[in-house]
Amino acid sequence: MDSRVITITSGKGGVGKTTTTANLGTALAMQGKKVVVVDSDIGLRNLDAVLGLENRIVYDLVDVVEGQCRLRQALIKDKRLPELYLLPAAQTRDKNAINSVQMVQLCQQLRQEFEFVLIDSPAGIEQGFRNAIVGADEIIIVTNPEMASVRDADRIIGLVEAAGKPEPRLILNRLRPDMVRRGDMMDVADVLEVLGIDLLGIVPEDELIIVATNKGEPVVYDKRSRAGQAFMNAALRILGEEIPLEELMEAPTLMERLRRLVGFGPAVIGKRTRSWPS
Amino acid sequence: MSMLDFMASRKRPRPGELAKERLKVVLVQDRVKVNPELLEQIKADLLRVISERLEVDEQHVEITMTREDRWDKLQAAVPIKRQKITFEWDPPYYGPSAEGLQGPLQVEVEREEPSS
Ligand SMILES: Nc1ncnc2c1ncn2[C@@H]1O[C@H](COP(=O)(O)OP(=O)(O)O)[C@@H](O)[C@H]1O
Ligand SMILES: [Mg+2]
Repeated sequence: MDSRVITITSGKGGVGKTTTTANLGTALAMQGKKVVVVDSDIGLRNLDAVLGLENRIVYDLVDVVEGQCRLRQALIKDKRLPELYLLPAAQTRDKNAINSVQMVQLCQQLRQEFEFVLIDSPAGIEQGFRNAIVGADEIIIVTNPEMASVRDADRIIGLVEAAGKPEPRLILNRLRPDMVRRGDMMDVADVLEVLGIDLLGIVPEDELIIVATNKGEPVVYDKRSRAGQAFMNAALRILGEEIPLEELMEAPTLMERLRRLVGFGPAVIGKRTRSWPS
Repeated sequence: MSMLDFMASRKRPRPGELAKERLKVVLVQDRVKVNPELLEQIKADLLRVISERLEVDEQHVEITMTREDRWDKLQAAVPIKRQKITFEWDPPYYGPSAEGLQGPLQVEVEREEPSS
């Protein structure tokens, strides 16, 4: 099968890797693709809960790698989508339980069965991260528009490059249009300028993500959610569709328009009119 | 945003902008492993070479690493001190009106120092 192995990683923890993996996986399956999402965060199993599959786990990734069970036995079928599967992480094992060679073999095995293999990477830049990217054809980096997260993303870009992988694409998660509008948060263009990689999607901060996670249903199912729409758009871009980037800014207020007219004031997405005397 | 904040925002960069500028500097340091000490050395080297030719205002020299358009850049701003440049000028002959100007002249130009 002509399959694509895509790893979702970030460097920093808590930026939205697991959320992104679950939603892209679900979105691709909604588009009729045969998908497996792999939780490679050994010892910190999470992806199962975001997908609402935590009660069905019998075997895990380490069991498969060690030959304790067959791959088919460890794969968990999604509740709703017949073409979506989860390969859960081991919860009680050390994160060094598997090595790169085993991970490459596992990816090869998964390629036989699926069109898309999405790997949720652990945080950090150690063995777990390296295992997560070693078998990947493509890398998606998730970052938030704040310093520490962007800095870690840059580090990851360097490591991905050094590993001989193609240039990663970026999902900018938890963007707050209101803060960007006030100039209190970096905007999309700022982050892109600093990181210099292509953008796959912009996902706004959205309470509905927490609601969705609580229900064990990825937010892409929720038509009202802008984050859900953003994940669906990113999935469509993965499939090669040309979807214009999300217009997340609400119409500027009169005050903001005035300020822009005068030629100073906070950054505005799209037209970046900044000029304060230094 | 109150009117006061609004006035103040003219002078200070907003936090978002600040984050970007700080990131640019720190990322170049992360990537190229340029630390402030190395920058000081580069600055000293540059000054030595440039001052052989020009009179440099050493107090206001600025060497920075930054990232622009996907490139890591070393930027040097080296202000030149006010100085006299003298050169010889042999004006071309244009016609009767320039008759008085034949032969080479000594020209003296004074460079303006930027008001700071
Ligand atoms: N766009 C978003 N809006 C609101 N909350 C989010 C968003 N993205 C992620 N979260 C929340 O942030 C937390 C960390 O996300 P997670 O996907 O587990 O990060 P990671 O896997 O990178 O550690 C979770 O509680 C998740 O629900
Ligand atoms: Mg995670």
